[in-house]
Amino acid sequence: MNSSAENFFEAVGTPVVEVSRAWGSLMGCGFRTLRSIVMAPIAWREVIHQAYLIGNRSVPFITVTLGFLGLISVYQVAMQIQQIIPDFSMLGAAFLQIMIREFAPTITGLMIATRVGSGIAAEIGSMTVTEQVDALRMCNADPIVYLIVPRALACTVMVLMLSIYAVLVATIAGMLIANAVFDINYRTFLSVQLVSTDDVIVGSLKALAYGFSIPVIAGNAGLTATGGSEGVGWATTRAVVNTSFAVVVLDFFLSIVGHILFSH
Amino acid sequence: MIEFIDIHKRFGTNVVLEGVSITVDTGQVLYIIGASGAGKSVLVKHLVGLLRPDSGRIILDGEDITWLDERGFYPIRRKCAMVFQNSTLFDSMTLLENVMLPLRKHQKMSRKDAAVAAHAKLELVNMEREAHQYPSAIGDGLRKRVAIARALTMDPQFVIFDEPTTGLDPMAASTVDDLIRSLRADAGVTSIVVSHDLRSIFTVADRVAMIYQGQIRLDSTPEGFRSSDDPIIHQFVNGLPEGPMAV
Repeated sequence: MNSSAENFFEAVGTPVVEVSRAWGSLMGCGFRTLRSIVMAPIAWREVIHQAYLIGNRSVPFITVTLGFLGLISVYQVAMQIQQIIPDFSMLGAAFLQIMIREFAPTITGLMIATRVGSGIAAEIGSMTVTEQVDALRMCNADPIVYLIVPRALACTVMVLMLSIYAVLVATIAGMLIANAVFDINYRTFLSVQLVSTDDVIVGSLKALAYGFSIPVIAGNAGLTATGGSEGVGWATTRAVVNTSFAVVVLDFFLSIVGHILFSH
Repeated sequence: MIEFIDIHKRFGTNVVLEGVSITVDTGQVLYIIGASGAGKSVLVKHLVGLLRPDSGRIILDGEDITWLDERGFYPIRRKCAMVFQNSTLFDSMTLLENVMLPLRKHQKMSRKDAAVAAHAKLELVNMEREAHQYPSAIGDGLRKRVAIARALTMDPQFVIFDEPTTGLDPMAASTVDDLIRSLRADAGVTSIVVSHDLRSIFTVADRVAMIYQGQIRLDSTPEGFRSSDDPIIHQFVNGLPEGPMAV
């Protein structure tokens, strides 16, 4: 084989091999986390500690972000409606439906991906490059059970809780601006007539899926970190990019699944 | 007895080990030396399954352990402990809890029994008074002593020391040397020590092996090492910046 053909195959093959390896590592991490949740003893004290760090510490961040999202989205949509037909009777109902089904879990997921995903990758990545993870393995402590399972359990529950809280915050903010700028009655805005059980199920499934995938992806980035502080930096960047990407992709697929399951 | 047979290991395009073969007899203290990045730590991590070779075999007491899975290495790690280069104590645990961890995980010991056993090991390295402090509250040298205590909790038959005296003051380094000697004399422990510390090598080692360019350059007694006329060995022993070995 001549060298240009070899170069071509190397140029094509190397990224394919690297992506396959990274994907295999991530899937393996996710599978082992799920299996450990079922089979291994759970360190509940650590789960509660992580729930506090992931959930309680994110409350101000989620309040500000989702509060502004509620303000902006209601203001913009009401402005559009005003130009076409000045009837705001369904504004609150439609807003609440899309918040529950789409925006509250997804925006919360993206916020947690950046805040918590980077922290998990940096912490576990530092432990990996300073051989603390190897030391854990020498002590017969599986790094997945010890480091990822508590974070996965805590994050899964807390993203769901924060999503519910996000609906509340965004709705209050939206209701206030609707009343202040467009003179929409609070009771008119707070209508649940478009919200069905399907919306609640799809929104909750999204929150649970994001909550599980963020610590698994970020934890795997940390566990595969190499080198020194530069390696930890790369692991953190990879974690933020991949967890954000995962939230968007999961949102797309779960929306389709929700549509197929509940379209009748 | 520990046998590394024709070990090859590369990370991406970086070839680290190219056919390393070496044997450590029971009760012996082998020092592995070489320049930074020569592959000393990489070689010893193969023995406890923290790294897997690309090819070659590792035999421990007659058992081929090369391709054991993670779970298969659990019993190996009970009898073969490792003291890491960076101490690797867990910041969220007290020193006592750090030393208790292998007992709790390997032997499923109760918290109370593990604490008693861990105190005894901390006493061995003169750290019992600091037992309830956190790693961040003590210096590097003291952390290393606690890491040694943690490695010894399972009363291992084999101990790997990865640069145990690096960063220690001369008195603390002598204490570590004495500990390695007493492990061999009192308990017949086989030790592999990765080190650059020439003083330790010439006072503790039974044998010295040097890794250079992925292969064993010399496998000899300390005296043979000191009197070698190999220019690479000569440069290393005398710490010369000029010579055939790139610095």
